Amino acid sequence: MEEKGRVLINCYVSSLVIDNLCVQARGQNAIVACFYFDSAAQNEQTPASILGCLLKQLVFGLKDIPEELSKAYEDQKNAIGGQGPQISDILEMLQLTSTRKRTFICIDAVDECAPEDRAKLLDSLGQLLQLSPGTRIFVTGRSHILPEIGRRLAGRVTSVSISPKRDDIVTYLRSRLAADTISDAMDSTLEADILKKIPNDISEMYVMATTFRKLP
Amino acid sequence: MSQLFSNNIGSLNTTNITNFTVTDDRPNILAWLSPLDPRLRHQDIRDRRVENVGEWLLQTVEFKSWCVGSEGGKSDKAVLFCYGDPGVGKTYIR
Repeated sequence: MEEKGRVLINCYVSSLVIDNLCVQARGQNAIVACFYFDSAAQNEQTPASILGCLLKQLVFGLKDIPEELSKAYEDQKNAIGGQGPQISDILEMLQLTSTRKRTFICIDAVDECAPEDRAKLLDSLGQLLQLSPGTRIFVTGRSHILPEIGRRLAGRVTSVSISPKRDDIVTYLRSRLAADTISDAMDSTLEADILKKIPNDISEMYVMATTFRKLP
Repeated sequence: MSQLFSNNIGSLNTTNITNFTVTDDRPNILAWLSPLDPRLRHQDIRDRRVENVGEWLLQTVEFKSWCVGSEGGKSDKAVLFCYGDPGVGKTYIR
């Protein structure tokens, strides 16, 4: 349950940031690409498929497919059975698209990525920042990978703890209570008790986890 | 918020169209890049959000300066890492 809650609190913040960036990017020459890790799908979530997925979203936002990308696609068709794009090619393309538009990349729950894949992904992002220093990268994860992030993206990281504030929890509880369908069981005294007691007594993550779990 | 992108790179994508090619392969090329599609997951999580919860992050100095950046300047922090751990009853609200 706590595992689930952690995933949810991180992805909650990721989705908020992504939407905020999309609003900012609208009408500006900027573009946002995102990825949400899912530990249940580790096999499909390879560094190449993740970076390819980010590139796909960025290319999607361009009017036309860059010529270099069309050429890479044509070239691989000649390989036996075809093959997916290589990481080095994807990074080159990402650099290319980032010269067209200011680029925001958001990656949720990077700690869900298998360790060897995570190392490769973070190193690739580091390379991208060297090729394209204006690119902005937003990452969420558990605090234990903070040293690893710092090591692989040396000197380029700012970190923020995203424990929700007390106000967040009260607002959240109010919203859940208002949506409660068994309203007979709830009276104003009980509601006041809940709003008073839960934010004080229970871990904020736990609250977010359990309230999320009750959603349909 | 509109000044956040004042240091963008103009409109290269419209003036530099000679480097682009129109192709019927567009859907195939996009599919070739990756089979993954995060849109459904994003939509699902967005639908569960509660207004004003978590908004404080967007107002932090860290988030704002990360958005603006300094175009690769020496002190530029291009990566914003936000970390949250599962609560086990030890993490109380500040």
